[in-house]
Amino acid sequence: MQSMRQVKTARATFVERKYLSIVSGPLESSGTLLYNAPDRLEKHTLLPAPESLVLAGDELTITNEAKHQRRTLALQNYPIVWAFVESIRSTLAGDLPTLSRFYSVGLEGDAAQWRLILTPSEPSIQAAVSKIRIVGGRNQVASIEIIEPGGDRSVMTITEEGR
Amino acid sequence: MSGSSRRAVAAWVAFILACVAIISRTEFSTDLSAFLPRSPTPAQQLLVDQLREGVVSRQILIGIEGGTPAALAEISRRMAAKLRRDESFATVNNGENVGLEKDRDYLWRNRYLLSPAVDREHFTASALRRALEDDLQLLGSSAGMLWRKVLPQDPGGELLRLLDQLEGQTKPSMQQGVWFSKDGKRALLVAQTRSAGYDIDAQQRALVRIRAAFADAAGVGAARLLVSGPAVFSVSARETIKGDVLRFSLIATILISALLLLLYRSARTLGLALLPVASGALAGVAAVSLGLGSVHGITLGFGVTLIGEGVDYAIYLLTQMTPGTPARNTLDRIWPTLRLGVLTSVCGFSAMLFSGFPGLAQLGLFSIAGLIVAVAVTRWVLPALLSPGFSAPAVTALAPKAAFLARRAPALRPALLLGVALATLFLLLHRGPSWSDELARLSPVPLHDQTLDARLRSDIGAPDVRYLVVVSAGDQEATLQASEHVGAALRQLTTAGMLEGFESPATYLPSRKTQRARQDALPSAETLRENLERAQTGLPFRAGLFEPFLEDVSAAKRQPLLDRIDLQGTNLATKVDSLLVRRPAGWAAMLPLRGVADAQRIAREVAAVPDAQAVLLDLKHDADQLYRSYRSEVLKYSLLGAAAIVVLLSISLRSARRVFDVVAPLAASVIVTSAMLILGGHGLSIFNLVGLLLVVAVGSNYSLFFDRRVDSGQDRERTIVSLLFANISTVIGFGVLSFSSVPVLNAIGSTVGTGAMLSLVFSAILARPDDRAAGGNAA
Repeated sequence: MQSMRQVKTARATFVERKYLSIVSGPLESSGTLLYNAPDRLEKHTLLPAPESLVLAGDELTITNEAKHQRRTLALQNYPIVWAFVESIRSTLAGDLPTLSRFYSVGLEGDAAQWRLILTPSEPSIQAAVSKIRIVGGRNQVASIEIIEPGGDRSVMTITEEGR
Repeated sequence: MSGSSRRAVAAWVAFILACVAIISRTEFSTDLSAFLPRSPTPAQQLLVDQLREGVVSRQILIGIEGGTPAALAEISRRMAAKLRRDESFATVNNGENVGLEKDRDYLWRNRYLLSPAVDREHFTASALRRALEDDLQLLGSSAGMLWRKVLPQDPGGELLRLLDQLEGQTKPSMQQGVWFSKDGKRALLVAQTRSAGYDIDAQQRALVRIRAAFADAAGVGAARLLVSGPAVFSVSARETIKGDVLRFSLIATILISALLLLLYRSARTLGLALLPVASGALAGVAAVSLGLGSVHGITLGFGVTLIGEGVDYAIYLLTQMTPGTPARNTLDRIWPTLRLGVLTSVCGFSAMLFSGFPGLAQLGLFSIAGLIVAVAVTRWVLPALLSPGFSAPAVTALAPKAAFLARRAPALRPALLLGVALATLFLLLHRGPSWSDELARLSPVPLHDQTLDARLRSDIGAPDVRYLVVVSAGDQEATLQASEHVGAALRQLTTAGMLEGFESPATYLPSRKTQRARQDALPSAETLRENLERAQTGLPFRAGLFEPFLEDVSAAKRQPLLDRIDLQGTNLATKVDSLLVRRPAGWAAMLPLRGVADAQRIAREVAAVPDAQAVLLDLKHDADQLYRSYRSEVLKYSLLGAAAIVVLLSISLRSARRVFDVVAPLAASVIVTSAMLILGGHGLSIFNLVGLLLVVAVGSNYSLFFDRRVDSGQDRERTIVSLLFANISTVIGFGVLSFSSVPVLNAIGSTVGTGAMLSLVFSAILARPDDRAAGGNAA
């Protein structure tokens, strides 16, 4: 966790696969991730349709150029979204106190190969997310897996650039 | 006391009793909109209605500062919770998501009647196919997670479409889950009162509740409460008016009484001198009450000027009486002049009577009734009450000095001519910007309150509701239908980039016609099932996933149509109520526009929408336009008033030269006063214009007396003393008003105060030397 705090800025590509009960076969999307310490995180999906999420402070801005949509959410008003984005941002920031506000945090492995297991503490959030598994090595995150109560899950594989 | 005197006194007593009886049943108001123009065109009427009772007039902006963001947010939450339970408020918004579940629930349950996308095309196999492909993309995206649950019921995405409409507006920035100013120093709330803006009592109660809620929530901390908005303004304006009326009447009465005591050295004479004014004031209030229904607080404030002017008549009589001769002789002597003076004043005030401002009409009626009664009491009642041996020793002592000054005055003629020439030149050069064209100038709101308001408004980031399409029709259904037609045009304009978006009551409560059309457009259960199966072919959705969708559509096909009552308990109800209102004749819908880029084109296209009576209002521009049109109307009536005065003088004086002698000092006074007002840094407002007319109406009395042929030098000296004191009392009456913070009183006070004084001085300077010589020789 501590070594994560040394990362001030990072750029990565991602591939996300969603396994949903209502759809047969995974839904795949990909794009880039951008992180600026301590609290700015950008997720730009390029395929299959462009969409960007910019998280800055306690505001999340979702932009869909194709549909001319742009929406800004105050995270306090959307506790589930907040818990969700904090699982990634606080991990990247090495911010254990914030993580602990939303989740009971379990850590396995060693510095070279670690696994963070987040279990939501709030019942309202448990209804949306049952577990988040973040796998990484040193100060890099390799994958994030989100498991929902119904069995739906998504796996995001992250490849860092320029290191 | 002779028989006729007795009859006069008895009639006077009866009249005063009648006035008191009327006044005791009079309603007094302080509604500031009386000084907003009465509007001739429907669009302007809508504008004034908006200012009086529209959404804007009900908004109270609240700021809390002086604490850490966490502490301020906590106060904001507690205050809002308390105010939300209060019946005085329709909505209290501080950024918390309160009541949104109900809104969402309403939109969700009725999505097929509400969604603008529902038509015969919407659920064909090919349209469904496109929708399902979009759904797949959405499922893969980050928003998919939250939306997945409703997908089986809503593959067409109606809910998202409706929520987009709801959330299109710009919002203040957030901290700690509530609205904050950008710099994080102030927590912000917006409350909307249930009662209209013109109901000042209700607004005052609402403000008291807000202060109490703050005190409860903040405890003894360092946090401060800032409140602004039309309600705050009208409540504080009412206090100002009350205070000003009382204070200035008192000050003027004391000053004028002191002046009269100095002159007459007798309490009894003072009482007699005040008698005509007091009677006039009572008559004025009674006349306004009878003629116009209620009496405005500002009218009472204006009564102060009546004290100044009405006391003149008594001063003319008491001062011009030669010791040892009965009052009646003096009256016979000065009556023609006095009568003409009153008539010219009445001509002047009549112009106010016809102006578009109900408030000004009150002031006009009040003054006319007051002056006529004051002069009548002077003419018929005072002589009966004066003791035969009455004399004013101070007058005798002062007379030669005053006369000396008057004799010297014409020496100043070149200076006067130069002054008038300079003032004229100045006015010609300043022709452009010398009118102040903003309706806001009439606003009684002190500058620092306006600044606070602007600051809170920019904090909240609520763009001023400036552009508004108003749609009118006979009943609610017709209004909603017309709003939908206009809405269709606005949507096209939005796509064309002419505006960013708009709100309409029909978004949340479509007309029954539209609801029925949507319901009819929904396919039958079998058709929809077939279309869906074809659309789904080859897509990875689980079989049977969309059964809930099929059920919901067939339920929507049978559901009863929505009415206003179905919105009960949602925030949308408040929205619909504020955007859809019953008016004296018919109904009106308000469609506020956001991000207007081309107002003219919108105005054109909106007006051209068939089957709808719609107007684009630009609240700022139209208000200023309205003001300009009223100014030109007041200008017209003022010129008519001035013309009437000249005609009256021509008929009475029957000599072009004498008319010129009377009018010249007045014209000079008006020119110099205007130049001084503009030099003082203010543009001229409507109220200054009315003031200038009153300068003519009041000042004519002085020039008439200067013009009057006199029999003896002593007589002339006494006339001059009477003029001097009459003038001082008038200047006191109007002058004290120039210290008032109520714009109408302040403007009229300073204009007439200055103008009346100049009228006297200029009359003395311009008096014909031959008249003066005749008087001087006789002495």
